[in-house]
Amino acid sequence: MNERLANRLKERRTELGLTQSELADLCLVSRKTINTVENGIFVPSTLLSLKLAARLGVTVEWLFWIED
Amino acid sequence: MSYRERSHFDRPTAESVQRTRRMLPWLIPLIVVQQGSVIFGHGFDRSTQIFGTVAWIAVSLAMLWMLLGLPMRWLSEREQAIVNDERSRAVRGDSACWGIAALILIGCGMMLARLWVPLDAGMAIYGLVNGALVVSLCRYGWLNRAEPAEDE
Repeated sequence: MNERLANRLKERRTELGLTQSELADLCLVSRKTINTVENGIFVPSTLLSLKLAARLGVTVEWLFWIED
Repeated sequence: MSYRERSHFDRPTAESVQRTRRMLPWLIPLIVVQQGSVIFGHGFDRSTQIFGTVAWIAVSLAMLWMLLGLPMRWLSEREQAIVNDERSRAVRGDSACWGIAALILIGCGMMLARLWVPLDAGMAIYGLVNGALVVSLCRYGWLNRAEPAEDE
């Protein structure tokens, strides 16, 4: 089983004209955290996923999904 | 030339703490080797050895502080939250696992070695603590290595 958490973070962030640093500031995390989540290196907690979805004005299910 | 306003120019920021986290682990092996030569070297007097031992304890405790992610009261609450975000906690947890693994492996090696070579207690403690610290800090430094540029 080789599942990974895919996301539309970059797509939505650029759509809103936000940089990684600006999104990081909004969620009170470091830019590296946003960068690693976007690149699928770091899997965020439910708490951070909910925060990211709320700041980006989308649902968690739209933002993240499991990819085989 | 750019100018960036900071309300407390004399205090470290979350950014500077993160930069230190990237740089510091790579210097630790050098400090450890230098201190070991003072603590166990034959050409040093008693007071120098005591000074070296106290310095070694201080450096080890400072590294432990960094690995445990203890609060940095001089940072604002907002900056503390950024410095201790969930990725940082995950990195510390991963580094601690590597440190414990190194401790056990070095301990096993020493237990085998003592069957053939007499082991000095001070040397054994120094080797165990430093081995665990150096391995976990190298892992910590690697996981905190330079950030890719924006949007990379």
